[in-house]
Order: sequence, then structure tokens, then C-alpha cells
Amino acid sequence: MSHEELFTLFSKDLFIPELKAKNRDGVLEEMVDQAVEAGVIRDRDVILGMLKNRESLGSTGLGEGVAFPHGRSLAIPTLMALFARSSKGIDYGAIDGKPVKLFFMFIAPPIEKENRYLPALGQVVELIRDETSREELMGVKTFEDFQKIILGGE
Amino acid sequence: MATVQEKLLVLVALQDLDIMIRECDDKTHTDKLTAMGFTQEGREDLEEARKELVGTIDKALVNRYERTAKRLGRAIVPITGNICLGCFTIIPTSYTSSENRDKIMQCENCGRMFYWPKGS
Repeated sequence: MSHEELFTLFSKDLFIPELKAKNRDGVLEEMVDQAVEAGVIRDRDVILGMLKNRESLGSTGLGEGVAFPHGRSLAIPTLMALFARSSKGIDYGAIDGKPVKLFFMFIAPPIEKENRYLPALGQVVELIRDETSREELMGVKTFEDFQKIILGGE
Repeated sequence: MATVQEKLLVLVALQDLDIMIRECDDKTHTDKLTAMGFTQEGREDLEEARKELVGTIDKALVNRYERTAKRLGRAIVPITGNICLGCFTIIPTSYTSSENRDKIMQCENCGRMFYWPKGS
């Protein structure tokens, strides 16, 4: 998957430059509410329940201040990706215990013809391993800046 | 007492959970996630969450869900337009009338249950 293809999954409506939430459940709620407002989710509580169950399987906070809440649900018609940032950082139960500042949420339907869910998730995980990209994303304030960082890694 | 719509949403959540549990048992899937750095050690917690969810709706409905899921993989699908998203056959127009929203409807062709997403 190219960075251009990856970027098509994100949108301005699914971009939160500064989270208000202060804890893990609050972050998940704020991100899901944003997706509901953008009209990409069918049922808020079903998605929220799925994401919380996914966290109980093992934290999606992979360390270095980044988390990737993700999963499949019938309550979404097509694959979506949301980016959110917290400049202060949130206690998310990440595997390294550090506060999380960057969130990439991926939600896919149970069956996806193009099968882009795991490749897209893997691509962002790879991008975030690069310290420069990570540092740039920590300071991102606009969707246009976000776009430059995602596409710039090509 | 839960409404039909509330019960159907529990089945949707149950199906999401079953997908997650199945993915935990799929080595190809878990290998990919492990390579990305994700841990998946809480399968028992998912089983526990499933038990809790199952306890919130009638046993007969859970049995119906489990029988259909065993046969078809997915037991419940959303109604969007007049097509069953499980087997892609056309649903009679009468199925989608608002009068049927307080009933558990199923596809005449494949037997999957339907739910109406919010706002539909």
C-alpha cells in the first residue's frame, strides 16, 4: 500500500488536533464520537464496546507515545482511520508505561473486499517507528500538516 | 425489558466479540499483529466479556444466533437498502417497513438475522 493510498483512509472530519479526554476510556469515547459526527459509524456503543474489548486483549499502546486502537465491527460499513493527538499525553496503559500522545484508530467491517485493514495498520506502525515522523506528528496542528507528514514518508 | 432493537445490538456486539476471538485463534492473523508489536494475551478476558454479554439476552435468541453463526459464520447483518448483506439476495420491500422494526426478521434465503443501524 502506497502512502497515497494510506492517506485516502483519513479525512479532515476524522482528525482531532487536541484531545480533551484525560484517560483511556475518555479518549476512545472522544474518537468514536468524532467518527459518529462524521457519519462513518453506525452504532457508537457497539464500536466502543469492541474497542474496549480489544484493549483487554492487550494494550494497543505500543510505546514511544503512540497507540493504535483497532478492530472489526459490523457497526461500520467501510474501513476508516482517525488520527488524534494529545500534547500533554494520556495514561493509556501502554506497554512501556509512557503517556500516549498520538492515536491512530482503525476500524474495519467484518468482511472487506479490498483487504486493506491490516496492511494499512502495518504501514502506520512502520511510519511511526521513524523517530523524525513521530516527532513531527507530536507537533501537528492542522490536517494539511498531517497530510504532509504521511505523504512525505514515501 | 430490552427492546428488539436493543437485543439485536447485543447480538451485533456478540458477533464482533466472536470475530475477535476467532482472530485470536488464527495464527496467520496473530503472527501479523505480533510482527507489528501488538500483544494478544487476554483471550480469557474476551471469553469472560462474552459470557457477560450472553447473560443479558434470552437464551433462545442466543441459541438461534449460535446455530446460524455455526452454519454461516456471520449470523446477523445490517439492513441497508433492499439487499441482504449476507447472501446478497433481494429482500422483500415489506421487510424493511417500519412496522417490522419491533420484530426479529431474518433473510428468507440464508436465514441470517437483520438489524437496523441507527439513522436508517
